[in-house]
Amino acid sequence: MTAKSRGEDVMAGFDGIVHAPNRLRICALLDTAGEAEFGAVQEQLGVSASVLSKHVTVLMDAGYVAQRKAVRATRQRVWLRMTSEGVAAYRGHLAALRAIVGP
Amino acid sequence: MPTDTTPPGGITPEQARTALAEAEEVRTSTTALSATPWPAWFAVCLTLYSAALPIAYGGVMADEDWLLPRPAWIGVLLLMVLLFTGLFAVAARNWRHRTGVALRLDVLPKRATVPLFIGLPAILIGSAVAFRTTGWPGWLVGAALLAGATSIGFHLAFVRLHRKSA
Repeated sequence: MTAKSRGEDVMAGFDGIVHAPNRLRICALLDTAGEAEFGAVQEQLGVSASVLSKHVTVLMDAGYVAQRKAVRATRQRVWLRMTSEGVAAYRGHLAALRAIVGP
Repeated sequence: MPTDTTPPGGITPEQARTALAEAEEVRTSTTALSATPWPAWFAVCLTLYSAALPIAYGGVMADEDWLLPRPAWIGVLLLMVLLFTGLFAVAARNWRHRTGVALRLDVLPKRATVPLFIGLPAILIGSAVAFRTTGWPGWLVGAALLAGATSIGFHLAFVRLHRKSA
């Protein structure tokens, strides 16, 4: 495999869905935390519930994020986690970004 | 790495670097959250449990009755495990609710956790076997002190990691 084709392989990991700044941060958080409650994600990223909800919906539609609902103290909480496809897409995207940055 | 490949989406190296920095920043703050230490009450329980386990296991494994009859040691051991499991479930649930993230065992570096997961069972079984062979309870006391110190050490490591990353 030539250096050029290796570079093209890495670049193929660039994911337009993940790349949007807030979605990249959501993916970074969920990849690190494993699973996180919606409110905790909101607090960590400093975004409004509606903005977070919008980006989470995009990631869920892409099959990158899954949600689980749990009741705590009579209130329903939503827990988010990356799917295996999401983890692969996120890590592939990071590799593409590193390739763009270069050595 | 080649540089003659056209960056997708017209992303410049500077934009890519900024995106990577943002992802790294989130990763660092999330690691701090995941490294939130146990509350003091559970850290104490964990240390007491870690220290008592070699003693109780040694009592079960003893060649002949030591301090208590063997069935009593078995009862003590089972009671300890059940009590600790219950307390762990409560502490883990409260921890998850407080932090909003999943409880992970891989927050600390592997160079610390792998020796722990291999070393502690080895110390537990090794001390009981040594006690059974020699009849000298010092093996159990030594293992209890080591296990308790390890528990305190890991708690302090989490406290430090949490503060450092936050």
